[in-house]
Amino acid sequence: MGVTGVVWSLVDVFSQLLERDEREAVRGDLAEAGESAWQGLWEVFGLVARRQTLLWKNWRPWLAAFGLALPGSFLLMGFSLSVSSAYQQIFDPKITVGPGFWLLACNVLLLIGWAWTGGFVVGSVSRRTVWVSAALSFAPCLFCFTRFRVESLSRFCLLLFLLPAIWGVHRGLRIAQIRLSAAMVLAVAVTVLTIPTWSSKGPWIPNWALSWPAWYLVTTARRPKWRMN
Amino acid sequence: MIGEFEYLLISAAARLGEGAYGAAIREEIATTTGRKCSLGALYTTVDRLETKGFFKTWMGDATPQRGGRAKRMIRVTPKGVAAAKNFYDAVTRVSRGVSWA
Repeated sequence: MGVTGVVWSLVDVFSQLLERDEREAVRGDLAEAGESAWQGLWEVFGLVARRQTLLWKNWRPWLAAFGLALPGSFLLMGFSLSVSSAYQQIFDPKITVGPGFWLLACNVLLLIGWAWTGGFVVGSVSRRTVWVSAALSFAPCLFCFTRFRVESLSRFCLLLFLLPAIWGVHRGLRIAQIRLSAAMVLAVAVTVLTIPTWSSKGPWIPNWALSWPAWYLVTTARRPKWRMN
Repeated sequence: MIGEFEYLLISAAARLGEGAYGAAIREEIATTTGRKCSLGALYTTVDRLETKGFFKTWMGDATPQRGGRAKRMIRVTPKGVAAAKNFYDAVTRVSRGVSWA
């Protein structure tokens, strides 16, 4: 593939940031006008930049990126480590005293719940700016992953939250809202699962910083249509 | 009142009639004004004019000339015609008695 082919591939990559119909129209216009690859790249880049600028005039991308993705990834990495450490204490035969199995089970469910609901809200709120939220979430992960130095734990323990979070983002992008009943169950479950941590002396603010997306899902859930008989 | 570039777009779309779409409007503006219009400026303004109710757009047919890709067709609404007429009248009034020669 020559330079021209590579540049057209870049045009394709940038075009993915446009909506489907617009992408179709723009690529067609470039083909019809017989624009060069570099000119095409410049044109598409300009349109994408304008579209993204317009999107960031709204509060939603800011909330998703800086209110949830960035702080959430730090907190969830910390919680992933805590869960891994608890797992090690329970199943290591050399350690006889450690947290109970049920507390560990609660914390695993809580980690999945926090990561999924956080990911869902990021996906549903930011949508076309989700790549910025993803970058702001992956950057701290990469930073901590490369600097993690604990002999007894694998560095992959930091990233336990990633799979449910990515699943949540995927669902959020696809369906945007969940049913009210499902949202209520999720929010109550997440809140109940935090109860064991209330008695601990650790900071409690992170709990609420990670729990609010579950309640946000309740406020934005699809309401059932009541029938009047 | 609409802006100058919005007026150019409405006028170009009105001149092209049934054949108004992105590439054709760009070509029309380049030919009549000598200014090249970027795709970014074109499509963000088209969206704005559609939001204001001055344009109606829909996806048209794909042609081999465009690599099998569809056109975004554009039609000026009566509200768009009125807005362009207002702009033209204002420019005509403000230019009365002024000589640029």
